[in-house]
Formats: sequence, C-alpha cells, structure tokens
Amino acid sequence: MLDRRLLPHIDWVLIAAILVLVVVGLVTIYSATYDPTTQQAGPQLTRQLVSLAIGFVALVICLTVDYRVLADHTMLIYGAFSAALVYTLFFGVEMGGAQRWIDVGPVNLQPSELGRLVIALTLAAFYAESRRGARRLSDWLIGAGVVALPFMLIAREPDLGTAVTLLPVALTVLVFAGLRLKFLAALAVVGILFTPVAWTYALEDYQKTRIASFLDPEQDPHGAGYQQIQARITVGSGGLTGKGFLQGTQSQYNFLPVAHNDFIFSVLAEEQGFLGVLFALGLYLFVIGRSLDAARLAKDRTGMFLVAGITAGFTFQVIYNVTMAAGLAPVKGLTLPLMSYGGSSIIATLMGFGLILNVRMRRFTN
Amino acid sequence: MYDGFVPTDRDNTPRLLLAFYLGVVIVFLALGVTYWNFQVVQHARFSVRAENNYQQTLALRAPRGVVFDRDGRVLVENRHSLNISLVRERVADLDQALVLLAKVTDVDLQVVRDVVEQNIARPEYLPIVIIRDASLGQVAAVTARRLELPGVVVEQVPTRYYPSAALASHSFGYVGEITDDQLRVTGDDRLRSGSIVGRSGLEEEYNELLMGQDGARLVVVNNTGREVEMISEVPPGEGRQLQLTLDYDLQRAGEDAFQRAGYAGAAIALDPTTGDVLALVSLPAYDPNDFAVGIDQETWSSLSTDTLRPLQNRALQGRYPPGSTFKIVMAAAALEEGVIGLDFTVTCRGGGTFFGRFYRCHGTHGTVNLDVALEKSCNTFFYTIGNMLDIDVISTWANTFGLGVLSGIDLPHEARGIFPSRAWKRERFGEPWYPGETISVAIGQGAVSVTPMSLAVMMATASNGGTRVVPRLLKAVRDEGGWEQIEAPTPTSVSMLSSDTVEALRRGLWMVVNREGTGGRARIEGRDVIGKSGTAQVVSLTGRARSDGADVDFRDHGWFVFAAPRDNPKIAGVVFAEHSDHGHLASQIARHIMETFFAKQDGMPLPVLDSPQVPVPVVTQVQTTQAEG
Repeated sequence: MLDRRLLPHIDWVLIAAILVLVVVGLVTIYSATYDPTTQQAGPQLTRQLVSLAIGFVALVICLTVDYRVLADHTMLIYGAFSAALVYTLFFGVEMGGAQRWIDVGPVNLQPSELGRLVIALTLAAFYAESRRGARRLSDWLIGAGVVALPFMLIAREPDLGTAVTLLPVALTVLVFAGLRLKFLAALAVVGILFTPVAWTYALEDYQKTRIASFLDPEQDPHGAGYQQIQARITVGSGGLTGKGFLQGTQSQYNFLPVAHNDFIFSVLAEEQGFLGVLFALGLYLFVIGRSLDAARLAKDRTGMFLVAGITAGFTFQVIYNVTMAAGLAPVKGLTLPLMSYGGSSIIATLMGFGLILNVRMRRFTN
Repeated sequence: MYDGFVPTDRDNTPRLLLAFYLGVVIVFLALGVTYWNFQVVQHARFSVRAENNYQQTLALRAPRGVVFDRDGRVLVENRHSLNISLVRERVADLDQALVLLAKVTDVDLQVVRDVVEQNIARPEYLPIVIIRDASLGQVAAVTARRLELPGVVVEQVPTRYYPSAALASHSFGYVGEITDDQLRVTGDDRLRSGSIVGRSGLEEEYNELLMGQDGARLVVVNNTGREVEMISEVPPGEGRQLQLTLDYDLQRAGEDAFQRAGYAGAAIALDPTTGDVLALVSLPAYDPNDFAVGIDQETWSSLSTDTLRPLQNRALQGRYPPGSTFKIVMAAAALEEGVIGLDFTVTCRGGGTFFGRFYRCHGTHGTVNLDVALEKSCNTFFYTIGNMLDIDVISTWANTFGLGVLSGIDLPHEARGIFPSRAWKRERFGEPWYPGETISVAIGQGAVSVTPMSLAVMMATASNGGTRVVPRLLKAVRDEGGWEQIEAPTPTSVSMLSSDTVEALRRGLWMVVNREGTGGRARIEGRDVIGKSGTAQVVSLTGRARSDGADVDFRDHGWFVFAAPRDNPKIAGVVFAEHSDHGHLASQIARHIMETFFAKQDGMPLPVLDSPQVPVPVVTQVQTTQAEG
C-alpha cells in the first residue's frame, strides 16, 4: 500500500492543473452536446463523469505501485498488452469500419490507448537496465522492434492516428537513452527522399484525397475538406472574447462535426475566444513543464525515461489536436487529452499522470 | 534497483529536457499566434462565414391583392400552396439527393434533374423549387425523411386562386413568373427573379397595384437546414385590393346562357351612363388556376393549339363584320347629316340597283320608313341612304360611335377594328374608293370589321343619346383609409345626337324587339328592351359551295346589340354568338343577361335557365318564346 510518508511528496500542483483542465473540458462537453431545441445536454457528460471517476481510481493505482516494480514486470505487461491488441484484431467490436474495442460488459475498452504507457515503460526499463554510454546498433533495433509490433497491430485495426502517437514516445525515450540526434536527422532526410515513392505506391486513393483536401480544403467543401473549413470558421468566429457559453453557433447548430470529441478545442475557441484558448494552452504548457520537472527530478533513469516518454506522448497529442482544431492538420481521430470526451482516452491519460506523479513522489526513496 | 544515476558532465539529460521544454514553448507560441491570426486578425471574415452558416434569409412572398366584384363578392384571392425546394449549399452529393428526392415524391428523376439544371447558375444558397404545389403526400414523404434529405425544404407560398375557375377568366388574365426580358427592363425594385407578375388581363393591367411587397424572415438553421429559431421577420405586404365594375351574377348569367345555347362567342354588358363593364364574356375560356403555380407544358400546348382558341379574348381581340347592327350608325348619320327626314321612305322590292349592280335584300318589304327599316332590317332602305352619304362621312360617324377605334377599356391587348375610308383604302391598297363599295358598308359588310367591345360601346352611345363612354373594369382601390373610388373615364363625346334622332333610333330599335323584328326573343314584358340583330358572314355563298364537305364550320356568326329600358337605359351591350347562323339566336342570351340585371335591380330572385346542362333544340325554344309573346 501507499506509504503515508510519501503523501507530502505528491505533486498537488500538477493534480490541481489537471483538474482545472478536466473541468474546462466538462463544461465544454456540456456546451458541445447541448441541444438548443430541447434545452438539454447530451448523455455524454454523465458518461464522461463516470470515466473520470474510473480514471482517477486508475491514477491512484498507478501512483501506489512503485514504478520500479512495474519496470521489473515489463515483459509481462508488454506481453499482456500485445495479446490484448491481437485479441482486438480478431474478436474486437467493430464500429464505423474499424475494430478498436474490446467488449467488457457494460463498456467497450480501447486497449490501444494504453500503448503510449506500455511503450514508455517497456523502453524505459530496457534502456535503464542495459549499459549506458556505448550503445550498440542492436540496442536501437530492439527498441524499434518493441514499438513496431504494437504499431502495426494498432495500424491494422485500422487506427493509424493512435499508432502514430507511439512514435514520439519511443523516439523521446531513445533520444534520452543516448540515440544521437544526427542519426535521427539522417533518418528524416531519407524519409523525405522517399516521400514521392510512398505517395505513389504506399498510399490508397482515399488517403491521397484526404491529404490533397487538407492542403486545399476549399477544393472539396462538401466532402473531405468540410470539417477543416468548419473548424476554421468555428475558431475564427470566436474572436477575442468568444461568443459565450452555449452561444457558439457552429457547435450548437452542428456545423462542426464531433464537436464534443475531436473538436472540443474548437468549441472552446468559439465560445471562450482567444482568451479561453490562451488559458487552456497556458495550462497545458504548465502541465507539460511540470511533468518534465518530474523527469528532471527522477531518482533513476527508469523514472526519467518513463516520465519523458509519457510526457512526449501527451505533448504530441495536445499539439496535434490543437492544430487540427484550427483546421490546420488532417482530421485524425486524435482526442485532446484531459478535455475530449472519451472513456479510454481519459483513463489512459490519467494513468499516465499517475505514473508521472509516482516517479516524482519516489525521488527520495530507495 | 538503484543504478547510480547521477548527472555527470557526460550526461546531457538536463540539456535534453530543456531543449524539449523550449521546443514545446516555441510550438505553443506558434499555436498562440495561429489562433490570434484566426480569432483576432481574421475574425470578421470568419464571423461572416459563421453567420452564413446558421442564418438564412427566407423570402416571404407577398400575396397579390384580392379582387372583388361590384357587390363585394370575392372574384380572385390567394391560397397557400406548398413548394418542395432544394438548397444545394447543404447537399453533399447533389445527384444522390435528387435520386432520393425523386423516389420519395414519386416524380420522374429526369424532370427533377432538368429543373436543377435550368437553375444551376443561381447562387447555391437560394432554394430551387423542385415541385410546385406539392401534394400533402409528397410533403409528408419529404418531411419524414428529412435527415436523409438535408437541404430539401418545404416552403409555403401564397398562390393566386380564382374560386370561380374559368368564370370571367379573360378579364382576370393570369399570372406567371417574370421573364428575364421583363426583369431587365423593369424599374420596380419589388421584382426579382422568380417574382410572380400578371401576364394577361387585369392581372397584367393592374400588376403594379396587385403586386405586394415581399417580406423576409431571418432564421437560424442547423446543419441540416432545419429552422431552429427566428431572429426577425419583415412580414410581406399584401397587394392592393381592387373592386371591379363586374357583376358576378351578370357574368354568370351571360356564361350560363352561352353554355346552354352551346355557342362559343362573346358578350358584354355595360352601364351606358358610366361605361362600367357589368359582364364581359369570352368563350371558350381557360382556368387561370392552371397558370397560378406555373402551367405545365401539356396544358399550355393544348390551350395554345386549340382551334377554338380559348386564350383569345374574343370580346376585345375578335374582329368580325358587324352586319345589320351597323344600320343603327347609318340611321343616326343620315338623320344627323340631314340627308333624310323622319318622313323619308324607300320602296323595297327585294333589293335595289346601284352603280349598275343589283344588291339583294333578304325580303320584299314594300314602302318602308326608318322605323320599319330598322324593325325589318331592310337592306334596300340602308343601301339607299348609304348611297346618299359619302364614305368618309360614314367613316367619321362610325368612329364617333366607337367603331374602328379602340374603346380604351382598362385591359391590355385590345384589338382595333377596321372601318374603311378613302384614306384607309389608299394607304392599304393604293387604290381609290369605288362608290359601289359604300353600298355594302351601309349594311355592315365589305371591309368593315369590329370587335364585340366596340359594338357594345356603339350600342351604349346610341341608346344613351350620343355619349360615347369609355368602358372600364376598375371601380375602386383599397387604401389604408378604405375604398378609394376611381372616377369614371371622361366620355369621348357627350350628347352629340339631337333628341329627334335619339327618339327615332329608340322607336325603331324598340320595334325590332317588341313588334315583328328579329329581336323578339329578347323581349321582356315591361322593360322596353331595344336592340338590333346582325349577321357576320363567315364565307361568301360561293366560297361555302366550294368548300362543301370540309370539316370547317361555315355557319354565320350572329350579333345582337341591346339596351333597356328604352327611355333611360341602365344596361346596354352586345352578344356575339359564333356560328349561330343569325342574331336572333344571340338575342336570347342577351335576354337572360337583362332579366338577371332587372331581377337584381328589383331585389327579385334571379332567373334560372330551365335546363342549363342540356342544350335545348332551337325549334322548341322558338315555340316557347312565341307562347310567351
């Protein structure tokens, strides 16, 4: 159980910031699901509250078990996670053309959401245990293999968006473990050189259409470009101070699709304006900074790698989603952590912060 | 577990963390700038686009003014019809939407596609009317599948409604969408593409008054185009209400009598003192309701190609020789010019020879004076006085009585009759006038052709003592304050006939109806009806023989001009019965109109035609009339 002496070392400030973001998210979900004709909010708010309750319980559990104990059982955790992904591929629940969920009685769980945590933990344990200083190529290949398996399993669901979020987590751990930036730069150059080849042979037609419409959404205002155009209108029409709570015409009259989910930040921008955007961005920046602080303070490399990886995944998601909310990134089913509606997402995010708090809290223990 | 993790000078973790953090700060700053750009710099632009999304201005079509008869009975009004329209802006896949729309409304897909194709150039946010005057079943089908049919809207529009269907349809005319040409030349800012305007009759003549001011409604719509709430509304302003001089009962009586007799033709009843048009019949007619929601091609082509020409207003546009009805003008001219006196007589032996040619009379009347000449319609008498008058003098008198000139009625597209003169012939044929031609003109034949309306004006002028009134249909216009009476137009000439002439005409024309003349069937006991019949030849006798067996009706047209009571006429007019062979058959139609008029005047029950649906054989009708007389 949790050692009482650890309680003073819990980062209550980080928890407070997280709570504020969660409340902002709840208020925005309420508005986004509000139906002006019936004057009622949708059922999503209640379900989000239940998810949050579960999420905070999960946070406490992740906080209680010493991360080093978890690091000792990475083989088991990684194996179980991979098995869950395989199970999803074969027996998962299919919704909207993708098979991403496992039916567990009252709810469906999305195992891929835990991917970032599992990868961060597995790689952290692996590179912390192996000797530092002189890394061999085999170390990097093993790391690449660790991330490649779940990446492919998740991409096949298909859920390329979630699969891609594994990459910043893995890269961050690898860089902190000593991967040279020069090597990464070389990889990037090769990637750019191969882009035309990939465009021609690797992409399906619908994917090309999607990218083309991202580059010029007005080309196809009714089709693929619609969400991007509406997202920009939503954000832009919000102005400096916003239209006010429940007053966003774009979200209230459903011009913005999946407003409570992928485009929750657009709704915030519309109703609370640029000031609301600054407030939320400031909070996110604070949470990221505070998490990096936990990495800096970590007692060991396992903790440092773990926190850096989780933070990188969180940061990537925030930046991508906020960019997408302004219609400046291709629309991918990526939620805004802490604010977007979605049970698996919020539970996984809170578990991640449980681990971050865990590392910071145990910086003085042996 | 502790692996001796202590920062050394070789360990660059703090620098990496700092780089990470600085990188995030830079990206967040970039995001902040981006949002600033969208939300503050470009705010106005995006605000307009957001407004265009959820605010929609719907035009509210103004109802046209209601039209009443002289007793306040509604003749033309408006009803609500439902249009099913499509807003392309809200449709993702246009063709898919059209397929579904055609399916649920059971309309031919090609028709729907054609409608959209015709309007493809209009702005995307403007609704295109796909189905006009949709049935309730179609509206229910569309409403039920609203979610699958975003952009399909049901609009309620006021539509012109003529409750009596084809009654008096040529006077009312019809409405239709404004044409592009009209739109280009109009100075009226109320007119837009798709506006409904009068295209004929009173609807056209008084379009400015009848047309209302369209309103607008600003509404909030959601992404499916459904109206969520209303922001503001400028209600449409109804067009001005008009009261006509028409009398519904007289109009009905005229049309009923025609239907019973089984003729096509025209009839006009005027108030001879004011020019008020009490009835204006032209048959066959059309139902202006067919035009109100946009006439379909089938109905239009059947109307426009019908050999009976239902779209033509015979009363104003039909031109026929006046025949013996013209003898009234001849009598007045001869008396007024002083070429004959009341004691003047002519001996009729079945015709007369003028300029070496024999002109026939239809009987042998012996010695006749003017009274008897009118009563018996003796051609020989009128040939003789025609020979005593110059054609230009006759022409001037004809014009004075309203023949060969426009009546000036407040309806569009009135045709001008022809009355020959020396100048006319020189201009038309480049030939001099031959005196022999005057002989034919004297009995209303030859190059003379008149419209029924001009003949009605002639009869009003002859019966009222020589005041040529201008017929009019508009009696009053509704103002904010109430009905504003329209002054009767100034007569073209006033009391130009001497009392002797007036009395002579009245006496002769009274005998036509009340003695042994051809107008016996127009006689009404105690009403002193005066009148004159006439025949408009369709073809000459030789032409008739030549075309024998062809599927053309060669029976002559019958005229009957009438007025009553003789000394102080309250009603005057004309009946023109196509192919009725002779005017005395037209006179029974006139009789029914006059009986109805006097019954209304005295507050008595209106006369009923004995068997309105089945045409009674003519012979039976003759016997009935004689039994009454």
